[in-house]
Amino acid sequence: MITGMLQALFGAFFGSIGFAMLVHAPLRSLFPCGVIAALSYLLYWVLAFLGISDALAVFAGALFGSLSGQWFARRMKMIGTVFLMSSIVPVVPGLGLYRTMALLGQGATAAGAGQGIDAMITIAMISLGLGVGSYLNRLFHAKKNPSGFDFHPEG
Amino acid sequence: MPEEALSVADQRCMEALQLAGRIIIENGGETYRAEETICRMGRGMGLTQVESFAVPSGLFISYRRADGALETSVKRVHRQGTNLTRIDEVNRVSRSVSAGKMSTEDALSQLRKIESIPGPFSPGWTVPAALLCAAGFSLLFGGGWLEIALAGGIAAVVQLVSLLLQRIHMHWQASSIAGGFLTALLPHLLAWILPAFSLETVIAGAVMPLVPGLAMTNAVQDTMRGDMVSGISHGTQAALTACLIAGGALLSGALLRLLEGRLIP
Repeated sequence: MITGMLQALFGAFFGSIGFAMLVHAPLRSLFPCGVIAALSYLLYWVLAFLGISDALAVFAGALFGSLSGQWFARRMKMIGTVFLMSSIVPVVPGLGLYRTMALLGQGATAAGAGQGIDAMITIAMISLGLGVGSYLNRLFHAKKNPSGFDFHPEG
Repeated sequence: MPEEALSVADQRCMEALQLAGRIIIENGGETYRAEETICRMGRGMGLTQVESFAVPSGLFISYRRADGALETSVKRVHRQGTNLTRIDEVNRVSRSVSAGKMSTEDALSQLRKIESIPGPFSPGWTVPAALLCAAGFSLLFGGGWLEIALAGGIAAVVQLVSLLLQRIHMHWQASSIAGGFLTALLPHLLAWILPAFSLETVIAGAVMPLVPGLAMTNAVQDTMRGDMVSGISHGTQAALTACLIAGGALLSGALLRLLEGRLIP
């Protein structure tokens, strides 16, 4: 269990830093990007390990990533996109999409379609997690800022 | 009614607003961010009734001039690539202008500099970045040392090819197809000469740098703010990228079956 957890932590940390470098993210955002991604993926991994459904675990990971990403963006006075993108990359179903392609290429249409649907559900849960995180953030700041929603939450 | 010439101050304001919005959209920013930045900067410059409408391919800006006339401009924008450092820098300028800490002239001069900054790394650095990204995700998918090294190496080669395609002015779609093709082909070829390794882990890790993570994030962000046109546009871009990568991988599968049929009759 510990080995798997460490693999998930370090894999998400370094993988997300590499991804952030690919999109020319600002230098000072790289370490926080890695931390957010590692913690989001760790949450997903722990929930999945405890037997919670994969879709719910992805949602929780994306929601945590969205909230912590926006927190970092406000604190560092940076654009939120950098942190939000890094937080979702580890849960993007790369393996699921590859299996879908491989199965469809081999002519196993039914199995490929099954994998594809799983991957689509994961993508939908990521979107939902990001979206709910964004709404919660706005709600919180609408209370703090009486002018309402005319507020740029990610800076 | 005869057309009145714009005053120098009005020209500078409009130029700065257009440039700020254009840099954000050209470098992969969300359209709501471009709209908000234009409105905030405009108000910071002392303009009234500032309105902006942005889509991923263009900008519309209008404001009320001091003489009461409405000034409007349309700007066609062509997506250049992804550079979040430039967007972050525009955001910094926008904050200073809207807080009244930066003049229009200074903002314009800073925005002109931002337009051409390469970001924290030169384009060549994207090769080790792809290596780090693929190696990290290969570890996350449970890969051992060999899988990590192979995924990183293959992603670096794919990124190098992508840079070469960009240099000869090929569109991003070509990079996605070539990326999917090489990412699926190279591990199979290496499997013929190297000791046994998990093909699935190597391919899944190596494909991660190609994932349209930014387009996905922008699609969700724009849609959640009610900007359906931009949300659908970014979502379509993400889906198209994924389909092109998949198409490239399926092509390599067909080629491999052909090769295996010829080499192993």
